[in-house]
Amino acid sequence: MIERDDHQLREGFEALRREDAAGTPPFGATVAAARARQATVPRHRALRLGSAVAVVAVVVLSIWRERDGVRLQIDLATVRWHAPTDFLLKLPGDELLRSVPQLGSRGLDRRTL
Amino acid sequence: MSPADLTAELEQLHAAAFGWALSCCGWDRTAAEDVLQASYLKLLDGRARFDGRSSFRTFVLGVIARTAREVRRRSALRRWLPLASLVLGPEAADGRPDPATALARADDTTRLVRALERLSARQRQVLHLVFYEDLTIAEAAAVAGISVGTARTHYERGKAALRKLLEKEQE
Repeated sequence: MIERDDHQLREGFEALRREDAAGTPPFGATVAAARARQATVPRHRALRLGSAVAVVAVVVLSIWRERDGVRLQIDLATVRWHAPTDFLLKLPGDELLRSVPQLGSRGLDRRTL
Repeated sequence: MSPADLTAELEQLHAAAFGWALSCCGWDRTAAEDVLQASYLKLLDGRARFDGRSSFRTFVLGVIARTAREVRRRSALRRWLPLASLVLGPEAADGRPDPATALARADDTTRLVRALERLSARQRQVLHLVFYEDLTIAEAAAVAGISVGTARTHYERGKAALRKLLEKEQE
């Protein structure tokens, strides 16, 4: 039973092999295509290798900069923005509120008290 | 082996090699031609060297199987990494049977191919190597890169599954 089934499978694969063989590309054409591929491979490989090296270099540089603390620092304290309407916030006599009155020695003279 | 001898040996094996490449690529003709060309290139420029540890036929089929695996891996990488195509180059084919090949097949063969496609990759490989390429199970194991015991298991289970699938297809 098993042998008969194996025989059927073998026949099926034999038919498949015959059909595939009919559509097999010529050996010469396959080798020629392979050789043509070989001629283009170094140029493509150099291009791909160049792209890969560039990507890796960018990644390594950014990691290195991050590690060593070499990064672009923006000091916000040095940047002061003035709105055009700031003058509206200025009150008459504003400077009196921001300064400490200076009393002269005369004003604090104990004898005058 | 001299380059002339190598070319002559490859020419003799060409039809079997193409059939095996077709099976490795899910009967996608374009992908199979691509894999075959890449395999021949490896053999002709010496990247894959025959050391006489197995028969030349087993060695060549092994090189084709490895190349097909590499192509599949590259395709998978391309799907997952959008920038991978910059490094790996353009994709060769989609890995499905092409309509022209499918149309040219007889009904029985179409049924067999359809049933084979539903088996696991290992079972399909082992059955193909034994029935199509006339290799022994030990040789099939060497080509597929698995142990003889594993190959035998895949062979027995694959045969049983294939018979069931073919019976279903006939109903």
